[in-house]
This record gives sequence, C-alpha cells and structure tokens, in this order.
Amino acid sequence: MEHAWIAGKAAPLETAIAEAAELFGASRYPVIAGLGTDVAGARAAIALAQRTGAVIDHMNTGALLRDLDVMRSSGIVLTTPGETRVRADTLLLVGSRLAETWLELSQRLPGKVQQSQRNVGIERRIIWLCPEGDLAMPASAGATIEAIDKDPRDLPGLLAALRARLAGRPTGKAGVSSGKLDQVLQGLKTARFGVAIWSAAILDTLTIEMMCGLVNDLNATTRFCALPLTPGDNAIGVLQTCGWMTGFPMRTGFGRGFAEHDPWLFDSRRLVDSCETDCTLWISAYRTVAPEWGEPPTIALTGRGAVFSLPPRVHIVVGCPGLDHFAVQHLASTGALTAVEATRPSDTISVADVIARIASALLGKGERPC
Amino acid sequence: MLTRIAGGRVIDPANNRDGVGDVWMRDGRITDAPQGARADATYDVAGKIVMAGAIDIHSHIAGWNVNTARLLLPEYHSAAVARPAATPLSQVGWTTHETGRLYAAMGFTTVVEPAVSPQHALHAHLELADIPIIDKAALVILGNDDYLLGLLHAKESGVAVQDYVAWTLGMSRSLGIKVVNAGGAAAFKENIRAFSFDDVVPSYGVSSRAIVKALQHAVNALGVPHPLHVHCNNLGLAGNAETALTTIAAAEGLPLHLAHLQFYGYGKEGVRGFSSAGPALAEAVNAAKSVTIDVGQVMFGQTVTISSDVLRQFNARNRARPGKWLILDGDANGVGVVPYDYRRNDFYNAVQWAVGLELFLLIEDPWRVFFTTDHPNGAPFTTYPEIFALLMSRDLRSQWLSQLPPAVMAVTTLPSIAREYSLTEIATMTRAAPAKLLGLTDRGRLNAGAIADVAVYENDVDRAKMFRAAALVFKDGELVVRDGSVTNYRWGRALAVRPPRDRAIDHRMRAFYEDRYGLSDEFLKVPEHALGRPEPFTVVPCAS
Repeated sequence: MEHAWIAGKAAPLETAIAEAAELFGASRYPVIAGLGTDVAGARAAIALAQRTGAVIDHMNTGALLRDLDVMRSSGIVLTTPGETRVRADTLLLVGSRLAETWLELSQRLPGKVQQSQRNVGIERRIIWLCPEGDLAMPASAGATIEAIDKDPRDLPGLLAALRARLAGRPTGKAGVSSGKLDQVLQGLKTARFGVAIWSAAILDTLTIEMMCGLVNDLNATTRFCALPLTPGDNAIGVLQTCGWMTGFPMRTGFGRGFAEHDPWLFDSRRLVDSCETDCTLWISAYRTVAPEWGEPPTIALTGRGAVFSLPPRVHIVVGCPGLDHFAVQHLASTGALTAVEATRPSDTISVADVIARIASALLGKGERPC
Repeated sequence: MLTRIAGGRVIDPANNRDGVGDVWMRDGRITDAPQGARADATYDVAGKIVMAGAIDIHSHIAGWNVNTARLLLPEYHSAAVARPAATPLSQVGWTTHETGRLYAAMGFTTVVEPAVSPQHALHAHLELADIPIIDKAALVILGNDDYLLGLLHAKESGVAVQDYVAWTLGMSRSLGIKVVNAGGAAAFKENIRAFSFDDVVPSYGVSSRAIVKALQHAVNALGVPHPLHVHCNNLGLAGNAETALTTIAAAEGLPLHLAHLQFYGYGKEGVRGFSSAGPALAEAVNAAKSVTIDVGQVMFGQTVTISSDVLRQFNARNRARPGKWLILDGDANGVGVVPYDYRRNDFYNAVQWAVGLELFLLIEDPWRVFFTTDHPNGAPFTTYPEIFALLMSRDLRSQWLSQLPPAVMAVTTLPSIAREYSLTEIATMTRAAPAKLLGLTDRGRLNAGAIADVAVYENDVDRAKMFRAAALVFKDGELVVRDGSVTNYRWGRALAVRPPRDRAIDHRMRAFYEDRYGLSDEFLKVPEHALGRPEPFTVVPCAS
C-alpha cells in the first residue's frame, strides 16, 4: 500500500521526506498548520518551527483562543471532568452541540452523582440554556432537565439578565419572564457544587466572559465552577506543549528569531489567503481533514484517505496517535495529558518521526543547529 | 577523561573543607587527586571560589500549574514587552529551555518542582524532561484527595496509608510527598472559606492535623529520605504565625519540612494589624531540631503566584495585580494562579520582604534553613543573586531598608540584625544541606565518588554579580557554562524514590478509579518512553 506521494504520484517515503525538506528549506515564510498530532509530534513541529522561523497554528485554535482570551483578560473558576462527575449536583449546560464536542458527555456525567463522600446517590439537576433541539440527546440519562429554550442569539442577553437578577437588579428585555429567570437562578444558587459546561466552538468571547462572570458571582454564596469543553485533534495537548516550549499558545511565529504570539498575524488561514506564506506543512494525524482554505497545502501529513482539491506537492500518510503508535495526548475524560498505548500497532510512520527526518535533512543542507 | 579544576578556594561544607586546592573529575564523578597522572584538561581557577553545584528544593518550574501561568500572562513573555534586561520578568525563565539555561548560569545543577498533582504527573515530567542541563525532581501532592481522606475517616491502619503513599510516589515518579493546606481544599469544595490546623473536613470528620500526622508517619516509615513537605494552612493572613507555631509543635520530634515559612511569619501588631512574627518563628525553629524550613523570600517586582492552595488563591483572587486570575477547583487540591506585583512602597509587601530576611538571619543552623523564593510566588528565581548579596551584607540591607515605608521599621527587627552570611554558610544552605534533606548522597559535595556537579565563581565583592553568572559550571563532569553563558546543552534526569509497597494496593487503586471515575488508574502512569529522552530517571534509595 502506498504511503507517500509527490505531486499526486506514488513515491518512496525517503524521496517524499527529502522533497518535503527541500520545499520547507527553500521557503521564505513556512507555516505549520493543522497540527492535529500527539505531544511528540507537537514537540517536533514546534522545534522545527523554532529552527526555521516558521509559524505554528492548530486547526482548532479559533475556538481555543476564545476561551483563552477570556481567561487571560479576566478571571475564571474552573473544575475538571473528574470532579464534575463525582461532585457536581447541578450542571448548567450552555448552548448546543455539547455532546458533539464531548462524545462521552452523558456517559461521563450520569444522572446520579455517584460516589462523592456526601452526595451518594443524589440526582443531578440539569439546567440547560438554549439547547436548540439537543434536548433530545440522552444527556446524563435519568437526570431531570430544566431548559430555557431560546434562540442561541438570545444567550448573551439571557446570561446578562441572570447576572442582573443575581445581583438583585431589575432586568430589561431578556425575552424570559423574571419569574422564570428567578426560578433558574434559584436552581443555581441552591447548587452545592455547580458546574457550567459550554463549548467555545459555538460561543463568542463576550458570551464566554459573561459565563465566567456568572460563575464567579455565584461563588459569593455557594460553589460553582466552569468546565469549558475542549476542542478535538489534541488541541489542548498541543496548546500545553506550545506553552512550555515557547511561553505562548499557538499562532506563534519565530520569523524574527524569537517566539512572538499574535492571533491575527499568525492565523494560518490569513497567511495563506494573503499569500504571505509560500509553504504550508499541514498535519492531521487523527483524521483526514483538509485545511479550511481552498488551495492544497504544500506538504500534508494525514491519516489515510485525505482528499485535497489538488494533490499537495508532498503527501505522506502518518499513523494515528494512540491507534498506530504510542502517544501522549490530552483526553477529555481525564482532563490531562495521558499516555495511550497503541490499540492496533502498525509500522505507519508517526508525525514526530517524519518531522525529525525533515529536520535532519535540513541540517544536512548547512542549516545551523540551534 | 581526567579533568582538574586547579587552585581555587574550595568550599565544601559536607566534607568540612575550606581551602585552596584542586578538584579532580573523571567520567562524570569527582575523584581523588591521582598519583602521577596528568589531567586531560586543566582549568586554572586561582582566586576563584569552587563549590558543588547548587540545589533548589522548592521552585515551581514545570507542570500544568506553571504552564497555565504562562498562558495567563503572555504579556510577561520577554518577547511581548520590551523591557530593560535587568528587570526580573525579562528573565523569569518562562519556557522550559530558559529555565534550564538561567539556573545553570547561576551554578544550580538540581532543582525540585514541589507541587505535582498525581493527575498531572506525566505533564510535569514532560516539562521537566524538556528543561536542559540540570537534574530535577518532583514532589507529589496528597492530603486533600478522597482516597486518603476515606482511609483516615475509616480509621484504617498506618500501613494502609503507607501503601497508598508508596503507590502514589511510584506512579508519579516523585522524590517526596507534599501536603498543601491539608484538608483545606477538600473543605473548600463544601463551601468552607477558612480552614485551620484543628479544623475538620466536613464529610470526612478528619482534621488538618490528622492528615499531616498520618502523612508524616507514612513518609517516615517508608524511609523516604525527604521529610513530609508541608504547606501550612492560613497562608498570607495576618496573625498566621500561630498556625506555623502549632504546626512546628506538631512535628513532635519527627522530621517535618515547612515550605516558604515567610508566608506564615505575620503577627497582628502595629497600627495596621500586620507585623513581623519572624523572630518568634525563628526561635521555634531553632528549638525544634527535627524541623527544617525554606524561606520563600519576597523580592519587589511583578510576579505571579502559583499555588495548589486553592482556598487561599480563591480568597486572594480579587487582589490580583493585574486583575486577572485562574482558579482550578478539581482533583483533590486544584490550583490557583494569581498575578501579583510586590511593591517596595507597599507597607505589607515591605513587611513580607523583611520577614523573609529575619528568618534567614535568625535561624541559626544553615543546615535547617533553605534558600527559596518559592519561585515564582515570592519572586522569580532570577532574583537569587540579589538575595545572596542581602544575606552577606548588613550595609546592603540598610540601604534597602532606607527605601521602605518608615512604618515598616516599627514592626520588624531586621534593622537590628548584624549577622552576615559567610560563603561557607551559603554553600551549606544551597549545596550540602539540600542534598542531605533530599537524600541525595551523590551530590552537594566534592569528595571522591560524588557526581561532578561543580560551580566556580569569581570572588567578586559584588556578591550579586558573582552569583548571577558563574565563571564555570560542570554538570556530570561536562563543562556547561563559561562566564555565565551556556556552552553545552545536555539533558539531565529526574530523581525519584520507589519505596516498596504491598501489591494489594494496586488492585485497590484500580478498583477505586474504576468505581469512582469510570477510568483505569493507568492514566496516572508516567511511562519512561513517553518522555522522549534516554534514561530520563534516576532512582534515589529509601532507608528501609
């Protein structure tokens, strides 16, 4: 079975890697994007970017930065999936597509709070704002669900109204009666350990900031935390790796010889659309995702079966972390970087190995080690 | 390869050595002067000071907590703000790479990350593995976790606690156990906002004292060299010296280490109800011979506090400078990240600064007081050279005192303290004593057989300048620093104990995680091959 192609034609892996190194080495402004890979792959990619002055971005940076931007400009009380499972007597679900972001949501957060020392067998109360038809989802089977089923565009106003009522102020046009608001608020205030769950995939930063504010306000009298769901393709694992290696999240560039973070400047899509970059290295090891931008990447490392509008100059099939090879990655269930043994070990090369070989080929071309 | 470091003043308190002479190294170890052999390489260090590589027992350098602080504060990255090179945060060691580089440049060769939660042990070790040059180690946190509280609630035997402690040390590949506000985080989950040493965690009916004592006994019984590392209750509050004094008394003659004691050195005297209790604490430490402490010195400037004392950080969040913060209340202790700017003209901050120095200067035995800023909580580790200088010069302290708010003088004894640390005392506090405290018999000393971690300094009257940039540093016998610049990036190892345990605990823990979290306990593992370095660990033997 073929593992590598140059301009759409099957090629030996060695030749493809040599061609990729050639392209990357000749680039004046390379971008490493997608970055759907494990920690080892991210480490290798970031090290390559540092050496070559490239930009690093991840396919889910947009959603990630919406949560992160609120965090790094205000305050947030967070909790973990494990703590939510064993302690949260009240869940405040915000918006739709939650189960889509966290496939195991209802399994991980069953209808009964299970074994916390005090809450043995207590039924979990679920309050859901703007579920948009997701109510049909078997969320946390057995739990009672109270919903305010408004248009998602009303969510910011709804949250603002809840905060206003919590602060004892009158509300204007929230589209919901103050009686209903107070009823929901009563549910939140009587929580012993409440957890608000949202996905930044569908919320904007102002809504997220309002959520963080509501959670903080509730802590004046009881305990309440936030559990923003994490985007896929190991976005959090790559974020953490990027954090310790560079001090910054993704959308960081090394073109000036040191790490610089700028969410607009180093947005890979913008760099492609504006033709600022002349070489893109696209990584999607968990799936076969193609970039959002129209044209094919220069070099693609993907799972088998990725389809591009035109063949990339170099395309190499890489193993899926945790399936084809051992991996460290962030898991939604543990909320931590976790070691995962291969479940169907294969010889398919890993992202880390491909990049290491590109890097050593570059070194052979007189590029300075750092 | 035989190397000779020739003609320096060798200060090696572990061997009572202080005199001009040579240090010889072969194959990564110190060796006796060989008869008639010629060195392959000789470094003439006449007039310079030669010490073992320094050891930092408590510095938050790696893991989820530290990384979250990086992500919370992108503007503190040296690339984000043009700032003068001499300001602390321009060199805060914000990446793993910079951490190794900056520590090595000061002659430090071993650093302990003191607050790793079991859930994030793999993360911490991944970061430690990416810190170049130096060796490192982790302390793992217990004391607010449901399993331990459940054991104590059920009045299980001390052996059961020991097995659990041994299991946790093994899974997390740690060098020792830390307890942070014992019971306080567990109580906070039940909406309790203040927690002292004899307060009780509601659901479990277990006091902070009971948790500390159970862990102290378990660590001691397992023969783990480093005593239980205690972060007391009531950190940062006026009048909290009482808490520290109570905890010191609770050591009851067994080894106990109290971390960053400065943050507990506060009385309620004076017009503001905030004063130094440094002398009273120092006196208690002097009397309690089984107790060791590190200081957690405050220095003025912008920093960020990173603490697994989630209760304290929650209460401090509205005093964040600048006004942003993150509290993670989860998985036993959790963490709080709260930026803070210690200001020279702030009465409270100035008192904190004075309390730290009082502890350094009034605790008599340099083998029992350890040099830390609780990096970055009191100050970034890059301020160490200035602190060495302050300890070694009363005149310098007087200059600093003259710039503080005058009201500070009424609530501290610092102006009256004449003691100046000698180079030998500095070497004891930062080399010989930490090695002994951590059970690292192979370092902190310069006798034959020890690891060839050696730091050479110019004997400069400007002590800060001297300690900021070592003239030469050798790690495992390899030259890694010359004139304060790293010349050779290499990878150190993480040091961990592996005390024996009854294997039945493995089954109990598997059942606990499956039953409670629906997860295999495998997720807590730190496999060697996950770290991407050859031989990432060295096992430190236990006494038993």
